[in-house]
Amino acid sequence: MKHYDAQFHVRGESEYIDDVPPPAGMLHAAVYGSPVAHGNIKGFDASKALAMEGVHAVITAKDIPGENQIGPIIQDEGLLAETTVHFIGHPVAVVVAETAEIARAATHEITMDIEALEVIVDPREAFKRGHFIDAPREFNIGDIGTAWADCDIIVEGECDIAGQEHLYLETQRARVVPGEGHKIQVYSSTQSPYAVQRMTAKVLGLPAHLIEVDVKRLGGGFGGKEDQATPWAVMAALAAHLLDKPVELVLHRLDDIKMTGKRHPYAADFKLGLKDDGTIVAFESKLYQNSGATADLSTAVLERSLFHGCNSYFIPNARIFAAPCRTNLHPHTAFRGFGGPQGMFVIEAAIAKAAETIGVPREEIQFKNLLREGDSFPYGQKTEGCHSRRCWEEAVDEFDYAGMRAAVDEFNANNSRDKKGLAIMPICFGIAFTKTFMNQASALIHCYPDGSVVLSTGGVEMGQGVNSKLINICAKEFGISDSRVRVETTNTTRIANMSPSAASATTDLNGNATILAVKQIWERLRDLAATKLGITDVGDITLENEVVYFRGEATEITWPELTQLAYFSRVGLSAHAFYATPNIWFDAAKESGRPFAYHVYGAAIVQANVDCLRGVYDIESVRIVHDLGRPINEVVDIGQVEGGLAQGLGWMTLEELAYGDDGRILSHALSTYKAPDVFYMPDDLQVRWVTDDSPTGPYGSKAVGEPPLMYGIGAFFAIRDAMRAFRDDDYEFSAPLTPEKVLLGIQGHTLSDYRKGEIAAE
Amino acid sequence: MKLLINGKQVTVDVPDDTPLLWVIREEVGLTGTKFGCGKALCGACTVHVDGKPKRSCVTAVSSVQDKPITTIEGLEATDGTLHPVQAAWVEENVPQCGFCQSGQIMAAVALLAKKGKTVTDEDIDAAMSGNICRCGTYPRIRKAIKRAANAMEEPK
Repeated sequence: MKHYDAQFHVRGESEYIDDVPPPAGMLHAAVYGSPVAHGNIKGFDASKALAMEGVHAVITAKDIPGENQIGPIIQDEGLLAETTVHFIGHPVAVVVAETAEIARAATHEITMDIEALEVIVDPREAFKRGHFIDAPREFNIGDIGTAWADCDIIVEGECDIAGQEHLYLETQRARVVPGEGHKIQVYSSTQSPYAVQRMTAKVLGLPAHLIEVDVKRLGGGFGGKEDQATPWAVMAALAAHLLDKPVELVLHRLDDIKMTGKRHPYAADFKLGLKDDGTIVAFESKLYQNSGATADLSTAVLERSLFHGCNSYFIPNARIFAAPCRTNLHPHTAFRGFGGPQGMFVIEAAIAKAAETIGVPREEIQFKNLLREGDSFPYGQKTEGCHSRRCWEEAVDEFDYAGMRAAVDEFNANNSRDKKGLAIMPICFGIAFTKTFMNQASALIHCYPDGSVVLSTGGVEMGQGVNSKLINICAKEFGISDSRVRVETTNTTRIANMSPSAASATTDLNGNATILAVKQIWERLRDLAATKLGITDVGDITLENEVVYFRGEATEITWPELTQLAYFSRVGLSAHAFYATPNIWFDAAKESGRPFAYHVYGAAIVQANVDCLRGVYDIESVRIVHDLGRPINEVVDIGQVEGGLAQGLGWMTLEELAYGDDGRILSHALSTYKAPDVFYMPDDLQVRWVTDDSPTGPYGSKAVGEPPLMYGIGAFFAIRDAMRAFRDDDYEFSAPLTPEKVLLGIQGHTLSDYRKGEIAAE
Repeated sequence: MKLLINGKQVTVDVPDDTPLLWVIREEVGLTGTKFGCGKALCGACTVHVDGKPKRSCVTAVSSVQDKPITTIEGLEATDGTLHPVQAAWVEENVPQCGFCQSGQIMAAVALLAKKGKTVTDEDIDAAMSGNICRCGTYPRIRKAIKRAANAMEEPK
């Protein structure tokens, strides 16, 4: 098992969009974004920019031949602002010049006359005023109204959960080449080629069949290129179409951080009621999503926060309320976990508060309330193949949690400066796009008479290893060597209407489509082999290790001979297949259904060491039992667990997005935004699998892309546990828990007090 | 001006303050080295100048004239044999999206040139902390460096 792109990556041979030699006469585009967070455009002057040598055009909304609209779900997002700007960096104009440097310099020569409007950056403030992207939603189970009376203990609290910059190392980019008859060839670094195709067609006023989108690979996506790759590709296409020249648009890192949305920040209120013995009776949470200025994917992200608002716990009476609050920040978007992690954080915080109030270990309440087989989620679906308790119990046993806790307690008793903390983080993540219609995929396979095979699907390779897994699936299903199979680029002319590579579902969907395509070809080849061998019982013919077998006995026909024979016998060697995930549905009117094909479970034990003099900490170990199903490519899957965890740890600890009250992002470069590095990763990282069959994944495999990120939430509570060993305060549930917050916290302060100057006044 | 890149003399006509990265990518056409941040903060653009790791996005091309420059494309032997660090990277299946990996490998090669088999975890932390991998391949980067260190010491 291997990651098939590794051989190219280590040589620097892998091609990303701007590594390919540019076509003759290619121009470069840069984007002029609004300098203020909210205002009416009273004047726009690009005369200085246009006068610069090398500048070919400055394109604004009035130049758009089609519709100035790229909202993926709600139609509230113009490609370029017309009358009002809603966030700093809101695209207003596209400058096209002979070099990227000139184009970027020219954007600084553009001026706007703006009538400033009020800026709102806080979701609670937006909520108060009723500034919503869409109507708030609510999931209910049991009877929350009467349940509080049955509780012995009720705790309430607030959470403040920050966003997260995607920080894909390859910034947003696209290259567009116009062709004959208004054909538009788009090379885009997108997780969603079909979205780019659809929006390009709409903005240019052309039919979809004139737009070809091709994606070879992404230098990282993580959700940030699910729908936010679209505007840049469409802008490049608009410029190419209007000027009839190839145009490339590569966002500079500073522009990328400023102009693109992040993981959604959330504020939340919670109320949790329990029996004396720790049984959870009732839970109510109110989630205020900071959606940013336009909808983007916010309503879908919000839906996942609702789905995962109870994480891995059975709660008989619950109400999860969530509101997508419109603010004057960049439109927030998909990011690995897609709203799920924010929902989970709130219930984990509520349980922490309850445990601290009662005076029992947090783990005791967590374990007592973990899901069991047949339990209901607050959206009607019941657990099937529930591994919640199994993952927890295996983690606690195999990694000796009791011993870890005893060692931590002993360390803390003997050390006053450093304190250690532990937390267990269970996860439960639903697999499928929550919009049922998106759970479709297709695959196109061509076999050549020399026995080589080329596979196209809607899956986009962004480092998650989907191409490696598709090669494994295609080869296994045929019975041939992996080396026979090559995966082609993701292209809208070969695969139509693909869903984005997202929701952890790319291998599930495209792998199943691949299996169906292989079956079509194999049935033809099997019949051909039967004829050749003079056999009537085709059901007993198989292909193993590239040899045709009959009733378990090898015949003289090899795979290349079979493909050769097929060609000369006029038997088709190509197939296209379509897959739709079965047995999923959701009734939005009732907020109930069976939206997920299955759930992925797991549990992680996180240990942290806090230096209480300095506030700095070390995540010492993360030990995971993860529900993987039957692995297709374990090398790839472990990489997803490690990588997801790294991002989850970063989100909960180091990665702090800072904004001014004027809506300006202050952490706009890598000098002011700290992501995990090799030093930060825990030295002791262990992963064990639960490998029971998944009901719908190819060969019983389960999706693995997103769920491991949520183990990172354990770091927040492990650090909190260490802080409480130093001083058992009721610390704020404010993530990320940066060293600054730790130090202030254990000194009895909060960051907000500090920023208000209240500490200095003491 | 004249540059010595991967053992080959090249002549380029660019302003003195052009970042070396631009020259390598746009003028010389070696695209394995990547632009990540433009401020020497992510490591994606790491090349070797005189055998030492340099962030080419902030290195003025005029400052490296006549000094040997090595990029990711210059690591493998002329017969195509991978450098031990590249080979270890393949063995450990390090890359995910790949975009930072040229820089990671160049930083690791420079580290091992200095430390060889004696490389410690602390050395790796110190030398590699400036190379960001957003896919989080760090555990494998660490393993691959150790594997390469061992391979480099094997008797021939």
